[in-house]
Amino acid sequence: MKEREEENFVTPGDILGKALELKPGYGAYFSSHDKTIYASLTGFRSITPAPIDSEDQRATVEVKGHKAHGPVPEPGVVVTARVTNVMAKMASADIVCVGPKSVKEKFTGIIRQQDVRATEIDKVEMHSSFRPGDIVKALVLSLGDARAYYLSTAKNELGVVSAKSAAGATMVPLSWTEMQCPLTGQTEQRKVAKIDAV
Amino acid sequence: MELKPSMPSSSLIDQQVFPGDVVLDLSKITSQTIKLGGGLRQDGDVISVMKAGVLKFSKPNKYWVETSHKRYVPSAGDNVLGIVVDARSDNFFVDIKGPTLAFLPVLAFEGGTRRNIPKFEMGTLLYVRVVKADTGMNPELSCMDASGKAAEYGPLKDGFMFETSTGLSRTLLSSPTCPVLETLGKKIAFEIAVGLNGRVWVNSSTPSIVVLVSNTIIQTASMSPTQQKIRVESLLQKMQ
Repeated sequence: MKEREEENFVTPGDILGKALELKPGYGAYFSSHDKTIYASLTGFRSITPAPIDSEDQRATVEVKGHKAHGPVPEPGVVVTARVTNVMAKMASADIVCVGPKSVKEKFTGIIRQQDVRATEIDKVEMHSSFRPGDIVKALVLSLGDARAYYLSTAKNELGVVSAKSAAGATMVPLSWTEMQCPLTGQTEQRKVAKIDAV
Repeated sequence: MELKPSMPSSSLIDQQVFPGDVVLDLSKITSQTIKLGGGLRQDGDVISVMKAGVLKFSKPNKYWVETSHKRYVPSAGDNVLGIVVDARSDNFFVDIKGPTLAFLPVLAFEGGTRRNIPKFEMGTLLYVRVVKADTGMNPELSCMDASGKAAEYGPLKDGFMFETSTGLSRTLLSSPTCPVLETLGKKIAFEIAVGLNGRVWVNSSTPSIVVLVSNTIIQTASMSPTQQKIRVESLLQKMQ
């Protein structure tokens, strides 16, 4: 199985096939001077047969599957992240999705104390805003440093989307500062995101 | 065992309880607010015990379990004895016998500014107050009381520090003064600092008194009050 995968692993410039037999898809291009299809990206070569009722019966060859093709956080994009650690002045989170798509490799983000909310930013208590394990929606502020992106939850629609209580049940949001556990009735404090009803 | 709906009660008050014991059945009690302290947990309709210890009750509605351990769980408001292990630009790292190191901000001293930051060597013993102790985060300490005064907080010089259980620390701090300290105090002059994290520091004019006081406290830890008095008096006589 491994050998076959390595045979199909291509880098930019590799010949994928002849233009008579194949059509170029994602990550491939047609070179007119020698009528061959070359790869323009790194990844695995995959062939999809043509639909039956189309004129051109050539199969489509594509290059996909490499993690560099996965979505990457950019400044200004809303990402979904899971909080991993909460400290006195910041919280760190693993970015799970960029917009609607899930990422292929691990990205880390940091939410600093001053980026948690828009008002009274020096009175923010990190422990009353996030806990490890919470799922948050955050905006990417910048690429940050080598270790992590800088994230912000300083908007009404950003913040904790889903959290588990100390008793282990998924909590119900009460307001932008509180969530309640359905098993025990205890409320816990979080910076809750305002999700519009569908 | 019938429970009156107006007054919740448990037959296990002041008894030894173990993890898993059911203390209260909430389905029998109509709308009452019950406050749970350490060692108790709400499990659906039932209050059950999480830590082994003695169940305590205080009117009108507080229940908790008094435990004694060799390790300390940091809790806000406690006075503890910490040992400096490292220093950074804005924090000292202090070991308080908890699951993680605690942070002591460099400015958390009376009249503390960037110009007069104290220099503590590694191994310095400090009497400090726990300001914040949230689960999962490193506790935050301070060498000031709530109003910003130094009170008695700060480094403890000379003397001798030994470690005990948290239960003994609470006994030594109880009021009225516990029998050991009272009996010792009548005959000898010494100073003592007790941390709720199970650390005790003793200082006196001569090392033999320090040794006597420390050994007395450790040996009488599990004795009843009368036994403690007898033991202390016999040790004092031996010294003279």
